[in-house]
Amino acid sequence: FPHWGSSYHLYTTILLFFPSHPWETVTKAAMQKYPNPMNPSVIGVDVLDRGIDKQGRLHSKRLLSTEWGLPSIVKSIIGNSRTYTYVQEHTAVVLYKTFYILTLLLFPLQITFTNMVSVDEKLTYKPHPEDKDKTILTQEAIISVKGVSLSSYLEGVMASTISVNAGKGREAMEWVIRRLNAEIEELAATARGTIRTPMAAAVTEK
Amino acid sequence: MNSVGEACTDLKREYDQCFNRWFAEKFLKGDRSGDPCTETFRKYQRCVQKAIKEKDIPIDGVEFMGPNKDKPES
Repeated sequence: FPHWGSSYHLYTTILLFFPSHPWETVTKAAMQKYPNPMNPSVIGVDVLDRGIDKQGRLHSKRLLSTEWGLPSIVKSIIGNSRTYTYVQEHTAVVLYKTFYILTLLLFPLQITFTNMVSVDEKLTYKPHPEDKDKTILTQEAIISVKGVSLSSYLEGVMASTISVNAGKGREAMEWVIRRLNAEIEELAATARGTIRTPMAAAVTEK
Repeated sequence: MNSVGEACTDLKREYDQCFNRWFAEKFLKGDRSGDPCTETFRKYQRCVQKAIKEKDIPIDGVEFMGPNKDKPES
């Protein structure tokens, strides 16, 4: 019989590399992560608060509205708003003179349909110490279960779910990065187009 | 991407555009010279907070920025 007051924590650490993306690119992508096709359940993102603290770190608190796609017959019984899950996300961006660290702390309000298990994820993006064109992502999951001892089987299931999601998370970031790069390419092409005309005129004048 | 409040989506997009530009061109380059988005943020926030109350969304009261909070310079 579960009792409240004690909790169990499971930490898993996953190290992933983002080859060929400098930290600035990855950070911009992290701030514009949604929408992306790997997270179709995220249907709304709102900034609740934002500010720079005494150490110059930029904090953002965001609300993610997610819809898990329950069958419409269920929705018609329990009503539309009841099928939404809301996730709170807190990010902090830190800049240090010549190197950068970004820490993303995710505090899900309700990631399962029971409130006995909660999963906190911590993602840290750092520039690769030897290659400025690479970024290292460290992902940690902290699973808290109130008053219930977790069997090792359940631990295994949760750990492999988190590894799969870590892979998806990286896919999502790669997608956003490609999209941002495509936008930059488009802008650059437009800029080249505008510059070309006066230069061509200068050449023909010779 | 939409806002949690349907009526707030346009205000959200306006704010997001302002922020993304400031973030890439100023903050990431170490430039702290003021925030051009305070007014758009205020308008957007008024709408969102109203929607959150109306939809009864439970917002965690964890202290934003913790003990490092400082009043941002306007």
